[in-house]
Amino acid sequence: MELFTKSSAVRTFYEGVNILKTIRRYTGLYKAFLFQNLKEDMIYRSNFITLVVMDIAFVSISVVLFKIIFGHVNSIAGWTFHQSVILIGTVGIVREMAYLTFRRGFLELGNHIRTGTFDTFMVRPILPNIHLAFRHISLSESLGECIMGVILVVYGFMHLNTWSLLSIPLYVLFLINSLMVYYGFSLLINSIVFWVIKSQELNTIVYFFMETSRYPGDIFRGVGKILFTFIIPIGIIATAPASILTGRMGWKFAAISIIVGVSFLSTGLYVWKKSIEHYSSASG
Amino acid sequence: MKKYITLFHINWQNSLQYRFSLVIYIGGYSLYIGVLLYLWSAIYHEGQSVGNYTLQQLTTYYLLQLMINSIIFSYISWDVIDNIKNGLFSNFLTKPLDYYLYWFTINLSGKMLEALFVIIAAGGISFFVSDYIFFPEHLITLIYFIIAVGLGIVLAFEMDFCIGMITFWLTQVRTFKYMLQTLILFFAGAMLPLDLFPAYLAKIAEILPFRYLIFFPASIYLGKIDNPWLSFLLLIFWIIIFYVISRILLARGIKRYEAVGA
Repeated sequence: MELFTKSSAVRTFYEGVNILKTIRRYTGLYKAFLFQNLKEDMIYRSNFITLVVMDIAFVSISVVLFKIIFGHVNSIAGWTFHQSVILIGTVGIVREMAYLTFRRGFLELGNHIRTGTFDTFMVRPILPNIHLAFRHISLSESLGECIMGVILVVYGFMHLNTWSLLSIPLYVLFLINSLMVYYGFSLLINSIVFWVIKSQELNTIVYFFMETSRYPGDIFRGVGKILFTFIIPIGIIATAPASILTGRMGWKFAAISIIVGVSFLSTGLYVWKKSIEHYSSASG
Repeated sequence: MKKYITLFHINWQNSLQYRFSLVIYIGGYSLYIGVLLYLWSAIYHEGQSVGNYTLQQLTTYYLLQLMINSIIFSYISWDVIDNIKNGLFSNFLTKPLDYYLYWFTINLSGKMLEALFVIIAAGGISFFVSDYIFFPEHLITLIYFIIAVGLGIVLAFEMDFCIGMITFWLTQVRTFKYMLQTLILFFAGAMLPLDLFPAYLAKIAEILPFRYLIFFPASIYLGKIDNPWLSFLLLIFWIIIFYVISRILLARGIKRYEAVGA
């Protein structure tokens, strides 16, 4: 009995070391890819500026729309204007987090599969999904929206009647949770690519998924509540982090958000892994 | 005329090949409209209301928006831009086709196909919210509505064609077009009915021709405009103006294109 515990303790220890090693390896790879991609970004400096300006314009239009709606009403499903501004900002921040990790990889996936360059991702000693993600990390693609996002969140936060400092780390935690939901959803949608080759358009769905998530999840009722929480979780992406920051988060919603986050990520990874087995190279 | 009918037919079949992406796009856009419907219904169920709209009218407005947006808005300028940039435009100079009419036909056939798909989608959604759908009382309202949509298709095409023509002068036209498109959608009433705008913005929207693309036909359908004839005249006036601009831009553009000698 004692021997058994000891050996399992040793095994856990070695596994722990392995996980640490893996994490260190991937952080190193991330840094290398990030700098490489930054250099690429810097070649097209004027493009960089247009992207930022355009993003800022788009976010401003969203704010103007909310402002107009709030010219007629006092609250939307209990959310005031300043709280809604946090929602808009949060979508921007989650988007940039996604561009800094996985988002653009999926936009390029269709091309890689059609031309057969996806082969490269299969033979390298990195997980294909991570390689695909890191290869296309982009700082500039959504930077403007992120800058606006941070400004909006700070602006909204300063206009809240009640707030606590504790909500800030929790906000970050739920941002990561939303990123997990977003990644899981993207993996699920993009897995279809391996079955139906011509389907870059699938990312249109992901685009609308993020566009619609800037409305508070509290507007949904009945079937919509279930649909937009568990199946197309747009009621979580921005609403969960923003709820924490505005002090409206209950235990039930917090638990549901985390459960959706974890299950979307794990289902996404599983389905992706199964679908990749279905990949038949276009070049070979 | 016959060659344009053939063109219409060919493009119809080409577009059919892309039906998968069309379905996905309309599906995504329907999701967006669906969420907006939830938004408005939440607001109205809290006992609040916006402007002089009932929930029924707003729901109908957004479903109309879904349809009109797909049927009216032209996106051919993406192709026009590519065409001019990669030099394929040279081929047209040698063909017995009028460049303006060519794209007009391409646009029209693409729009007709899209109309088929989007009407099915809107029908599907309205099945779920049937209590909140408004139907006009008089047949004449529907006729006015169809006239407005028809004229809207022409005006939207001309605007889009003009945007495409800018490529002769500016090579980085894509980002510019993207911004312009968003502004047009905003002032057309795609996101919100224009009479809900605050006074100064509503004034600007009133003067701009973009209102004829969504807000105007939708308002006719909702019975908010009793006598649309004056607006029809104004709309036709804008169509003529943009036709002249398109022709001038095309004529100047061709000269410029030759000068570059691409």
